[in-house]
Amino acid sequence: MSSLLLVVALLWPLFVAGSTVWCAYRVPVQQRHFISMLWVSAAWPALLLAYAGDVQWTMDAWMLGGYWELNALSRPWLAFTALLWSMAAFHARGYFADEQRQAQGGNASAQRRLQRLTLLWPLTLLGNILLIVAQDIASFYFGFALMTFAAYALVVHNGTPAAKLGAKAYLVLAVIGEGLILGGFLWAAGTSDTLTLKGVRDTLATADHGAWMALLLWLGLGVKAGVIGLHVWLPLAHPVAPAPASAVLSGAMIKAGLLGWLTVLPLGMESLSPAMMQFGNVVLVAGFAAAFGAALYGIWQSHPKAILAYSSISQMGMLTALVGMGIVVPAVWPALLPAIILFAGHHALAKGALFMGTSVSEHMPKWPTSLLFLLIALPGISLTGALAAGMFSKWGVKHALYEFEQERIIALLTWAAMGTAALVTVCVWRQWQQRQRGNSHSFQWGAWLAALIAALMTPLWLPLPEGSVIAPPLNEWLGIIWPFPVGVVGMALGLLALRRFDVPTPPAGDWWWGYHSLATLGLSAARLLAARCGRGKTTSVALALKGERWVMKGVLRGLSVESWMRQHGGGLMMALAVLLALLLIWEGQ
Amino acid sequence: MNAAWLPLTTLATSLFAAVIIFSLPEEARRVRTYINLLAAVAKILLVIVMVGRVSEGYEDTFSFQIVGGVDFVLRADALGVMFAGLSSLLWLCTTIYAIGYLEGAANRKRFFGFFSLCVTSTLGIALSGNLFTFLIFYEMLTLSTYPLVVHAGSAKALAAGRVYLRYTLTAGVVLLLGVVLLYSLTNDHSFASEQGLSPYLDDHRGLLTLIFALLVGGLAVKAAMVPLHGWLPRAMVAPAPVSALLHAVAVVKAGAFGILRVIYDLYGIELSVELGVTTVLAVAASITIIYGSLRAIAQEELKPRLAFSTISQVSYVVLGVSLFGPFGTIGALAHLLHQGLMKVTLFFCAGNYAEELGIHRLDEMDGAGKRMPLTSLAFTVGALGMIGLPPTAGFITKWYLGMGAIEADMYWVVAVLVASSTLNAIYFLPIVHRLWFREGPAHGKGQWPKEQSLGRLETHGWLLWPAVLTAVISIGAGLLAGLPFSPLDWATRVAVGEYLP
Repeated sequence: MSSLLLVVALLWPLFVAGSTVWCAYRVPVQQRHFISMLWVSAAWPALLLAYAGDVQWTMDAWMLGGYWELNALSRPWLAFTALLWSMAAFHARGYFADEQRQAQGGNASAQRRLQRLTLLWPLTLLGNILLIVAQDIASFYFGFALMTFAAYALVVHNGTPAAKLGAKAYLVLAVIGEGLILGGFLWAAGTSDTLTLKGVRDTLATADHGAWMALLLWLGLGVKAGVIGLHVWLPLAHPVAPAPASAVLSGAMIKAGLLGWLTVLPLGMESLSPAMMQFGNVVLVAGFAAAFGAALYGIWQSHPKAILAYSSISQMGMLTALVGMGIVVPAVWPALLPAIILFAGHHALAKGALFMGTSVSEHMPKWPTSLLFLLIALPGISLTGALAAGMFSKWGVKHALYEFEQERIIALLTWAAMGTAALVTVCVWRQWQQRQRGNSHSFQWGAWLAALIAALMTPLWLPLPEGSVIAPPLNEWLGIIWPFPVGVVGMALGLLALRRFDVPTPPAGDWWWGYHSLATLGLSAARLLAARCGRGKTTSVALALKGERWVMKGVLRGLSVESWMRQHGGGLMMALAVLLALLLIWEGQ
Repeated sequence: MNAAWLPLTTLATSLFAAVIIFSLPEEARRVRTYINLLAAVAKILLVIVMVGRVSEGYEDTFSFQIVGGVDFVLRADALGVMFAGLSSLLWLCTTIYAIGYLEGAANRKRFFGFFSLCVTSTLGIALSGNLFTFLIFYEMLTLSTYPLVVHAGSAKALAAGRVYLRYTLTAGVVLLLGVVLLYSLTNDHSFASEQGLSPYLDDHRGLLTLIFALLVGGLAVKAAMVPLHGWLPRAMVAPAPVSALLHAVAVVKAGAFGILRVIYDLYGIELSVELGVTTVLAVAASITIIYGSLRAIAQEELKPRLAFSTISQVSYVVLGVSLFGPFGTIGALAHLLHQGLMKVTLFFCAGNYAEELGIHRLDEMDGAGKRMPLTSLAFTVGALGMIGLPPTAGFITKWYLGMGAIEADMYWVVAVLVASSTLNAIYFLPIVHRLWFREGPAHGKGQWPKEQSLGRLETHGWLLWPAVLTAVISIGAGLLAGLPFSPLDWATRVAVGEYLP
């Protein structure tokens, strides 16, 4: 039964993609529904699959040998991913209603964009599902690559120069990431001759150069997860992508990197090498650097989605730090892993709801504005830990860390939550400033509300192992909640204080611009070198040709000697005879 | 039971086809087409029979003595049958393509005649059982491809043909010198010999190294290894089916296959490692891989970019051979097939763009995906395969090469592989981007350079279907690599036979 469901879950998005192609050729454009209910349903079988229980499949014919599994990690992951994709698809039905109308009215450019998006959206989803169920390297890498490259269409959708820049940054980083992942996988798999992700994990823990392999994989997967330094595509790509695409990018796809870490890094394994410990510390520091740095930079942004992108970097930074804890303090891992899954699932839906909220605030339905903005802020408040599922996820993490007396980490996480609160405040404030009346489509606000509710109730529906979700005791509530009001008040005071000054908005994408100028410099150096090499080659070819001409001239001259000899044959014979005679005489003496 | 007729008949099918085509008049288009297709299909069937025979453990051999000590030997061993399978499959595809491509063109009799001869030589190279037979077919390949390269007859084509002959004939002389030296050392030496040349190691170490350098140096010209690659980008003036055949199976692969034979069947891997020549070869292959990719980035026309990509990709085979160990061998052998499939797809597509829309330059390709969706899809598959992304066949070989490199403790090779993947992405992804994401004449912006509507579909069916077929096989070979008789499976068989005799 569940095998059948798996097949359907993987083939259904493919079928949906196929149907969009079919429609493109068979259905006249005036009657074409680019975003049909069939299209919206692409993720449903996968969602069902997540609740079908733990299963395993092996297929020898598949690539290097397929091994797929739904286990304690991949099941909840698939559940929140598929749920978010379904919500985002509903949202898209409303979000693109206008564009669809234009396309049906004969706008060729809108047709083209929608065609592209509707075809590549299910393919991106397929990659995401595949990488979650995959336990062998080839399938995982396949899913990861498919998701990465198909998502290009999601980012570039608008076709504006800003969208092209965002998509370019996304693609450049993606290619670098793919290279790093391939290198890490090859190194690890070649060392211990394994083809499964679990084998890679064991290799990383035991091999001599395990820490270096781990570094390659951490960085490669970290392009998706927004590791500091490789995060630059997020704030460039998110503001320009359509809201439903941003929702899945920031909610589901960004988590693919995290899932990769959780599967391949030797987390919770005792007696690791000192180099690996060092690596764990690097991960920890990088995580907190991202958590604080992104918050500090993000609050100066003016585009709500750019702020949300920085919030994603900051949240992923916290998760990165927790992953680092799994290496540095392995004992904490069994309790920390469910908390991380809950954190990830809650962040996925909450961030999805926040991104969908940006499109709702741009087309406000006729509701009381204060209620609307309260709802828009809710998932953000939950993210800071002051509400509902957020409290559970924060407490899950804190609880696990308390047991091992990691007070310093807890303190850092709490301060980072203040950063989250500040970012949410700025984001809602910017949305308020940029709000626009205009009826949003019922699917648009409906999906947003559904995602909001799902986010707030994450522990109720996420299929975690029993007993792993712990309700925070009453006396701990204050400790979890306080960063939110403090962050909001601090931010509000700061904004008030700065109202007099005209602070320019720093460019989104921060380090990208540095990389950009570095790359430009490098390119011009390479061009200079190439030109010099080209000149060298031309000179050497000219020299060689000259040499050849010289040799040929010599040969030709040699040939002309022949005719001279023919003319003076008699004389030469005489000379030869005389020479021979002289020799004979000399010999005779 | 030795079916001596089998290798001989397989070789004879295309030879007979060539003879008949030459004797037919120029206008006999229909008969020529039938003969071409019939011979191609017959050859595939014969190769399938050979595959069956080899997997049952037979090695069918045909041989006769020419002069004392020099034999003409055709032998259907696993490695040879693998190459024969590739060449016969791609011959069928390319023939179909060429018939569509040359519709209405001049000198078709000459073209198809030499085309068949070229395939005969390739098959002869695949099935030769000793160095002497190999040399005969190797030189025959040089001579039979020359008329194909200069087919257009323009000044540029003739100049390219001259360069081609200069390179290949000089290489032939070097190769001949190596062969003569080897014969003077060992007399007749079969590829099937168990012990390789190791008995001569103690007394003739220097001579063996010299002979190796001569043999591989001669073969490296056809395999287009840097700095002996100069002829390949110029030979791009040839018609698209010829480029496809040249790059995928005939000339370039013949060189790579020759290097495989020299290392595996003539010297033996242990001896090659003992002589230290494999490390040199690995470095040369790595330089070629990176240099080819870098030059490809700088090209602004489609076919030269593909040509430099070939230079880079074929050296994967050589790189795999020079990694001592079964994984490297499997990677090399599988890449021989995979690269052929993917490259032939790319060249078919390049030909389709040129024929249907007159596209030669990269900047003319904007939005071609809308006008020619199937061709562009096939091109995308080929391009992703070259980058080495799953599920295409290119991923499988890259994986095995990487594993082989780690196994051989040559970590820098993994860096080369990753760098090459990235460089491939740098020069193929922009093309894919142009095809699908940019607006061009198909969206009402500008005009195609020279549009002809050749068929009811996006182009002539004979041009379209071979490209689609090879693209599908390229994906199938990667996605279902675990199936029996897939390229990977066959390569594993050969490698296992090589390492576990």
